[in-house]
Amino acid sequence: MIVADKKPIEEIIEEIKGRTKILILGCNECVTVCEAGGKKEVGVLASALRMYFLKDGLDVKIDEKTLERQCDHEYLEEIRDMVDAYDAVVSLACGVGVQFMAEKYHSIPVYPGVNTCFLGAAEDRGLWTERCQACGQCILARTGGICPVSRCAKRILNGPCGGSTGGKCEISNETDCAWQLIIDRLNALGRLEDYETLSPIKDWSTDRAGGPRKVVREDVQS
Amino acid sequence: MNLKQKFDAGRFVILAEMEPPKGTDVSDMVNAAQRVKGEVDAFVVPEMSNAVMRMSSLGGAMILHNKGMETIMQANCRDRNRIALQADLLAAAGCGIQNVMAVAGSDPSFGDHQQARSVYDIDLLELLKMLTTMQTGRDMAGIELKGTPEFLLGSTINAGAGKSPELALEELNKKIDAGAGFFVTPPLFDISGIRPFMKRVDLKKTRIIPTVLLLKSLGMARYLARNVDDVHVPDTLITRIRKAPEKPRECIAIAAEMITALRDEGFSGVLISTRGWENRLPDILQKI
Repeated sequence: MIVADKKPIEEIIEEIKGRTKILILGCNECVTVCEAGGKKEVGVLASALRMYFLKDGLDVKIDEKTLERQCDHEYLEEIRDMVDAYDAVVSLACGVGVQFMAEKYHSIPVYPGVNTCFLGAAEDRGLWTERCQACGQCILARTGGICPVSRCAKRILNGPCGGSTGGKCEISNETDCAWQLIIDRLNALGRLEDYETLSPIKDWSTDRAGGPRKVVREDVQS
Repeated sequence: MNLKQKFDAGRFVILAEMEPPKGTDVSDMVNAAQRVKGEVDAFVVPEMSNAVMRMSSLGGAMILHNKGMETIMQANCRDRNRIALQADLLAAAGCGIQNVMAVAGSDPSFGDHQQARSVYDIDLLELLKMLTTMQTGRDMAGIELKGTPEFLLGSTINAGAGKSPELALEELNKKIDAGAGFFVTPPLFDISGIRPFMKRVDLKKTRIIPTVLLLKSLGMARYLARNVDDVHVPDTLITRIRKAPEKPRECIAIAAEMITALRDEGFSGVLISTRGWENRLPDILQKI
C-alpha cells in the first residue's frame, strides 16, 4: 500500500490560513490502513482545527467527509454537489488523491494533509516499512523476493557492499542489510546459485527517466 | 583581459562552443580551438548536451585552459548530486577555470544512454544559488571552504522564439537573483523575435548572449523550423539556403551576418555553435 504520515497540524493551519469553510476529505484506502488519512483521522484533525480556530475566536466551518477512494473519478464525483460550499479542501489522501482532486475541481484549492512516504507494508502495530520503489521493472524473481532497490541504502543490485556487518546496514544498526536478507532467503530456498549470477546493469528508463509514467491496457480499455 | 573584464568594459564578446570528444582523443577539439584562439574570447564546453555521453565539461575545459584558452565550464543538474557538483566546481576553480554556466541538462531519454537514471537532486535555480553560496566561502552544508572559488556565473534563458517575453523576463530575474550574470539564449535566426524580450531587460543588470547556430544544410534548417519549439527559422532563410548554389558557404555567410547584426543591435556578445563543424569557425569569424 501507499504509506503516508500525518502532517504537523501547524503546517496545515498555515496552509489554510484565511479560509472560512473547509472540507477535510479522507480516503478509505491505503491512508486508512496506515492510520494517516481515514475517517478516524479526518475526525481527529477536524476536531483539532475547530478547537484551534475557536480558541482564536475565528468563525471557521470545518466539515468532514471520507470517500472510498480519491484516486478514482467515480468516488470523487460524490462530492460534486457539495464541494462548491467550501473555499478549501484538506485532502488526507496520498499525493495521488490530492492531485486527482485538484485536477477534477479546478476552482477549489486543495491542500495536502499528509506526507506521502513510500510503498510499504504494516510490519507491526504502528510500524510501516518500505518494500517497493515502483521502479517499473521488478527483479524480485532473482533476489528471493526481497527488493534491493527499495531496501538497500545504495540500491546495489550485486551486493552486499563492504558496509554490511552482522546482517545490518552501515547506515544504522537498526536497518537490516537487504543483501544479507537476500542471501539468507536464497539459502533457505536452496537457490544460492542465483546469488552467484551477476545482475545485469539495470534499465532505469522504466523508473523516472522520460518523465511521468503511464500504464496503458488496451484490453481493459475496450 | 579576461572574459569578465571584457564584459565589464562593454566589449562585444565572441564565445564558441567546443564539444569535448566521445573518447580520449582530444586532438580535434584542441586543434579546432587553437585555430581561433585569438578571435574567440572564451570557449563554452558543453556538459554532455542532449544527454549524449562524452568527455565531461570539466575535463574538456581543463584541457583547453591548460593550452592557454579561456573556457566556460558547464554544470548541470542531470548527472550529479549536490556533493558531486560542488566537488567538481572546486576542482574547476582549483585548476583555474573562471567561468561557469549552470544548465538544466536534457533528460536521458534524449540521449544515447536512455536507461540511465537522472539525478536532479537540485534544480537549476538551486544550482545557481549553490554557486553563489560557494563564492561566499561556504559549501551548501554551511561548512567553511579552505579557499573560495570565484566564478563569472552564467546560465541559459529561453527567450527569442515563441515564449512570452513576460515569462522569459520572470525566469531571467529569478536567475539573476540567484546569481547569474550572463545568459545564453537558444539559437536565434530572427532578431525581431527577441526584441520584445530585450525591451524589458535591464541591461545594466545582466548580459544577453544569443546563440548563433551554424546551419549545416537545408534539411537541418527545415528540421529546426518544424520540430524545435524554442527556435524560429524564418521561411526567407530556408528559401535563401534552398536557392544557394553552395549551401555550406551560404550557411557560413548567414551565421556571420547574424553575428554582425547582433553586434550592431547592441548585444553583449554571441555564442557560436557549430555542432561538429568546429573546423568552419575560422570561415565564420573571417566574415565578421
